[in-house]
Amino acid sequence: MKTKSILMASAIAALAGTAPADEYIIGVMSAQSGYLAPYDGPAYAGFQFCIDEMNANGGLNGTTPVKLIVKDTRSDIAMGVQVVQEMIDDGAEFIVSSADADPTIAAAQITAADMIPTMTFAGTAPVLTQVGPHVFGSYPADNQQAAVLAVYAREQGFENVWLVKSPDSAYTLGGPEYFGTAFSTLGGNVVGESNYSLNQPDFSAIVTTIQGAETAPDLIVTWAWEPDFPAFIRALRGAGLDTQVMGGDVLDTPTVRGLGDVVSGVIHTSGGYPDEGSAYADFVDRFKAATGTEPDNNYYVNGCDIAHMIEQAVAAAGTTDPAAVSEAMAGLENGQAVMSNFTFAGTDRMPLRDVVVARISASGEKEFILRQPADLAILPAP
Amino acid sequence: MDLLLQQIINALSLGGIYAMLALGLAIVFSIVRLINFAHGEIMTFGGYGIFLAMAFGFPPLAALTVGIGAALMMALAMERAAFRAMRGADVVSLLITSFAVSEILKVLFQNGISARPVPISFPASWSGTYQLAGMNIGVAPTVSILVTLTSLSLLTLVLRRTSIGMAMRAAAEDFEMLRMLGVRANRVVAVSFAVSGLLAGVAAVIWTAQRGSVDPVMGFFPVLKAFIATVLGGLGSLSGAVAGGFVVGLLEVLTQAFLPDGVSPYRDAIVLGAVIAILLVRPDGLLPAGDGSRS
Repeated sequence: MKTKSILMASAIAALAGTAPADEYIIGVMSAQSGYLAPYDGPAYAGFQFCIDEMNANGGLNGTTPVKLIVKDTRSDIAMGVQVVQEMIDDGAEFIVSSADADPTIAAAQITAADMIPTMTFAGTAPVLTQVGPHVFGSYPADNQQAAVLAVYAREQGFENVWLVKSPDSAYTLGGPEYFGTAFSTLGGNVVGESNYSLNQPDFSAIVTTIQGAETAPDLIVTWAWEPDFPAFIRALRGAGLDTQVMGGDVLDTPTVRGLGDVVSGVIHTSGGYPDEGSAYADFVDRFKAATGTEPDNNYYVNGCDIAHMIEQAVAAAGTTDPAAVSEAMAGLENGQAVMSNFTFAGTDRMPLRDVVVARISASGEKEFILRQPADLAILPAP
Repeated sequence: MDLLLQQIINALSLGGIYAMLALGLAIVFSIVRLINFAHGEIMTFGGYGIFLAMAFGFPPLAALTVGIGAALMMALAMERAAFRAMRGADVVSLLITSFAVSEILKVLFQNGISARPVPISFPASWSGTYQLAGMNIGVAPTVSILVTLTSLSLLTLVLRRTSIGMAMRAAAEDFEMLRMLGVRANRVVAVSFAVSGLLAGVAAVIWTAQRGSVDPVMGFFPVLKAFIATVLGGLGSLSGAVAGGFVVGLLEVLTQAFLPDGVSPYRDAIVLGAVIAILLVRPDGLLPAGDGSRS
């Protein structure tokens, strides 16, 4: 009797831990703490929201329910590698990785053997897809953002740019360098560069160097994120320099917009803008109604778009086999998404998507300036 | 020449913050032999105090006072809740306790307030400049230097002229002897934590005024630098901590300003290399503690 009970309990436990055969298992690396938490958190919230909506309608394409395995990486790359391995051991057929190039590249080393498609939440450094044919970006890449921003800057008559960059991450280094390349191609001059360290305590030395430059820049470009950008812009304006500042999509946050007078007029790229009546505006309304949270940055909607990208790749593959889904994803052209449509075909798997240029108003609002795809003729190579 | 003078002002401004944090670390270490790595979270808590006060509509100056008070209360609470029970434990146990307190507070900040930095918008006039001898000098670095010098002067006065200050200095020399003379240990230790909290609060005020945001790990990096400064100055030496803070600030700013582009990514390594070089020449630090305890 006792043996029977044990066998019965074991069988129930085994059944409870096994996904139904037609369930698609997606592993999600989501940093709940550390420097990636501000990006992974909203991206995961948007992703989960849209997966839940799909599951309520039968799953991907109405036929394939999705099961999510979500694990915290604490923004630690070693921890990230460990959780990816655990998720693969638990049957993950697709990995959504943290919102930066470095953890995505580390995750992609683990997923390479089985060609498990690996897509970053919002990493934008175009080098991240060079690990293998199973690695995908989801957000407009840094070189696309930089090319669009450089065209805008030249159209506005800016001639001399100073680049503020950090070699500590592919994003903070690559963005300004791509901008410099595109800006030079369009006839502008890079008159100086400054390097900083992530979490650098003080930017006054850099600001003083810019003040003393032989050729004064009329434009400063940085891909610095929080809390470095707030520190930099306060030091810059505090020193009396009112030079125009432009930056990457990482400035598209309520924290930056909340800095007050010092950020008035700062121009940045962005993945999208919720125009009235657009699919994006509808997403904002639905998300707010369902969760009570205002999706106040693009990471939410991009998380949702990742769900749509996976759905369309699975539909195109006609199977959930990881290698087939990777191949199908790479061939998608003009895929439908909420923030903007996307094309992987003909790219190195960083999707071609529209880039928005926006301005921070005096009242701390995000003002739309333009939306356009990058001009491939001036797109800097990764 | 103007450029050099401006960079020296920048260095004094940054060094002053390091000096205040280093002094806070040194005061506590000199009395209870605790290297308090949770000191950064005291500073962070002060920053959140400013943020919350402004969110509730306090005027900026009142919000800064709330921030300093919050840091002071956090330091006292930390001493009472975590470190009093560990009194007399060995240095390693105290160190691990401080790391644990630091991690717990960071997680509480992340989950209780926000994982993202929260903005603090000070009046535009606080970011202005003024002319002095043909140079454009920022208001924020000037205020930072003045506040630092005032704080350090007041602290010197308290340590030298008041009975509790003398008790703290005596405790730094020989804590056991002080207790045998009938001075209440809990009071001296609590006051040392309060002073370190006060200094962390003032540092938080200057830091947030210059950086414009607060995040859960805001205090970690400056306190790491302050720890380097206390070692450089002579662990346990109060004057050494101040000197170490200014030297580290000076090294950081001057290497940032004058290293060629190709070498600048190695700036942190160069600064730490310089610190090691100084310690090789003066292993007990720039101004060693009176009891000759080695760094």
